[in-house]
Amino acid sequence: MNPPPAENSPRTALGRFFFARETPYGMALLRIVLPLAAGVPMTMRFPFVRELFTTDGSPVQLFEMFRQGSVLPVLTPAVAVPLYGIMLLCMLTSIVGFRTRTSLWVTTVLYLYFNALDGVGTLTKYSVIASHMLLLLSLSHAGSVWSVDAFLKKRSGDVNVLPPRFPVWPARLVQLLFAFIYFGASITKIQTAEFFSGEQMRYWMLSDWNYENPVGEIVAMSSPLLLISAYLSVIWEVLFAFLVWRPRGRIVMLGAGAMFHFMTWLTLGLYVFPAICLSGYLAFVSEQDILRLRRISVLRPIRAAIRLPALAVSRVADIFPQTVPAGVVWICLLAAAAIGATEAELQMDIYQSRSEAGLLKLMPIDRDIALTMLRDKTPVREHDKFFNFEIGTSTIGYQLSNRRTDYSVGDTMIAQCNLNPPHEDMWVECLLQDDEERTIEQFGQFVPRESLRANFFYTVDSKLVAGRYSMVLKSANQEIYRRHFSLSGNSTPQIFDVSTN
Amino acid sequence: MATSRNHGRSAMTRLKSVLVIAFIGAYLSALSFGTVAHALKVGLCGNTLSFYVVWDMFCGWTAWDARTHLIAEGASGQYYDVRAPWGEFHPFGHLARIHHDNTNDLLPRHIQNVLRHTAHEPIDRVYTIEEVWPKQYNLPPGLYDEHFGRPNDKLSYYHLRAVFRDDGTPMSIYPDWHAKQKLQAVYDNPRLRRQSANATSLFSTLYNPSQARAGSTLNTSMSAGLSTN
Repeated sequence: MNPPPAENSPRTALGRFFFARETPYGMALLRIVLPLAAGVPMTMRFPFVRELFTTDGSPVQLFEMFRQGSVLPVLTPAVAVPLYGIMLLCMLTSIVGFRTRTSLWVTTVLYLYFNALDGVGTLTKYSVIASHMLLLLSLSHAGSVWSVDAFLKKRSGDVNVLPPRFPVWPARLVQLLFAFIYFGASITKIQTAEFFSGEQMRYWMLSDWNYENPVGEIVAMSSPLLLISAYLSVIWEVLFAFLVWRPRGRIVMLGAGAMFHFMTWLTLGLYVFPAICLSGYLAFVSEQDILRLRRISVLRPIRAAIRLPALAVSRVADIFPQTVPAGVVWICLLAAAAIGATEAELQMDIYQSRSEAGLLKLMPIDRDIALTMLRDKTPVREHDKFFNFEIGTSTIGYQLSNRRTDYSVGDTMIAQCNLNPPHEDMWVECLLQDDEERTIEQFGQFVPRESLRANFFYTVDSKLVAGRYSMVLKSANQEIYRRHFSLSGNSTPQIFDVSTN
Repeated sequence: MATSRNHGRSAMTRLKSVLVIAFIGAYLSALSFGTVAHALKVGLCGNTLSFYVVWDMFCGWTAWDARTHLIAEGASGQYYDVRAPWGEFHPFGHLARIHHDNTNDLLPRHIQNVLRHTAHEPIDRVYTIEEVWPKQYNLPPGLYDEHFGRPNDKLSYYHLRAVFRDDGTPMSIYPDWHAKQKLQAVYDNPRLRRQSANATSLFSTLYNPSQARAGSTLNTSMSAGLSTN
């Protein structure tokens, strides 16, 4: 896919952006890392191929979820299992760069097919991003360097002093893909008001839907952190497209992106999504970057270590005489993968249909437990309608930003309750009580069903004497939360103001 | 001979260039469509391919965690857990695939698949139960004590979502727990309750204007014109 001679030195900036010629080191790195990141979750699905992707299971196509019917053919296990094995093998051959372009095309087509076939448990946005990148890798010359193909070419006598150079447009499209992804993600966030008041991320971090995220659970309880990171992430997502192609901006944008994806791992328990996105960043590696890295003497030991895989590949390749065409070897590997996958899947016998004990038994459950679940009419407990109740003195983005238990005369206390939607229109009360639980002040307000929080503002004047008090949240005449605090300072009796917003 | 070969090669490279430029244009147009469609909420409904160009990660949220339970009732009155006895697949963490079925497309097939591949007595019906609880109870004990200052008395609420036959055919479907709570919240309004009692939520006649204009005297019930959903 070499451009015509006229395009060897494009005249316009746009032409140079897409058609400048470079050795595709970045795409080669992407070729090595992406199939690994996308291949691990697909390998984990192998024991369940029959259930997830075949007529002998329960696949749900993406098209069906969009109410467009069964557009894709659902294959029998006898066909789908070997194809799945071929897909996994082609991911491997893409990584080592053996018959790279064909391997990438086969991977792309089968990866798209199998993902779309299980819209519930396999297809997600990370697999969409991976599909885009696999397609663009298939169109690139990612196998021209750091690959078995390059080694075989060299072995066959086609020795070129300089590495081959090609137009950079496939790498540019991967880069543009990320600009679109982040810009689109910023639109999603801008359209979600609760993202900027902290609720959305708080509840995602408290969800047990992904892998463990202990850091997320801590961050979820810190409103300032949630709000600051919300604004920073949107600013970064919008700026990405405008700065990432500038020399200094690139480092900042990619560095911020790496940090962002690292934090999604820490706070949301995502593994594959950040791995795939960070592998996409390798498309931003230019020929100049590699040349610069090669000049850094500190990295020499690392470079030597990097050569080890190449050495291993050359040893393996030497086993085969030069007269054996690579295509034949590749087809034999495919056949072996198809047969191996079929045999392995049959041995696993997921449904135990060939077991001597017969089919597995459906698990009986206790009648009382079943009836409890079936007949449960328990109304939502009053305190389950509330997330929390805190007292402090300052807010950030409508959320209480500090928790305080010591107050002085003159302080304005903010008592804030957050609610778990959906809830009905409510009448919520806040009571000030002394240490013997005698009510000193009481105030209430309506909290309509669309509200996510209610604030009570108390200006502490000298009406109260120094001592211990509590702020009590009540709803439906039930005590929901009690927060203790101490008042220090002047004990001269004065006025105590209460107000709500 | 050599000249004609050069011309051929030149035409070939020109064709490749045109194809490359066309691909770049088409690809960037598709990505642009996704961004604009997502921003303006246009062209997305019923468009499967839009899923590949719209970047709406983490677009929704809920304050309640949820799980799906499938309970089969056998002819003997025994209840069974319709869970794959060969081991559930956990796609994105520690949750089985059935819990990720936000659109309820998997439910009937999952029921059919599990019952088809297990030994059991005849099954009368399969109940789909939604279990929900507030997410604050997911916090580890130390963190919960620090922030809530009250015992973690987590209580799950169970809600009947649907009833299926043993072949996965739905017999009855009910609003999900969130929809039910919202409906109840609205229905708490005495004025609305009075008005809804005097109103008709769904009304359709046998009269079909289109067929009447065509001269047909056969009146049929319409099923898809009006909907309260």
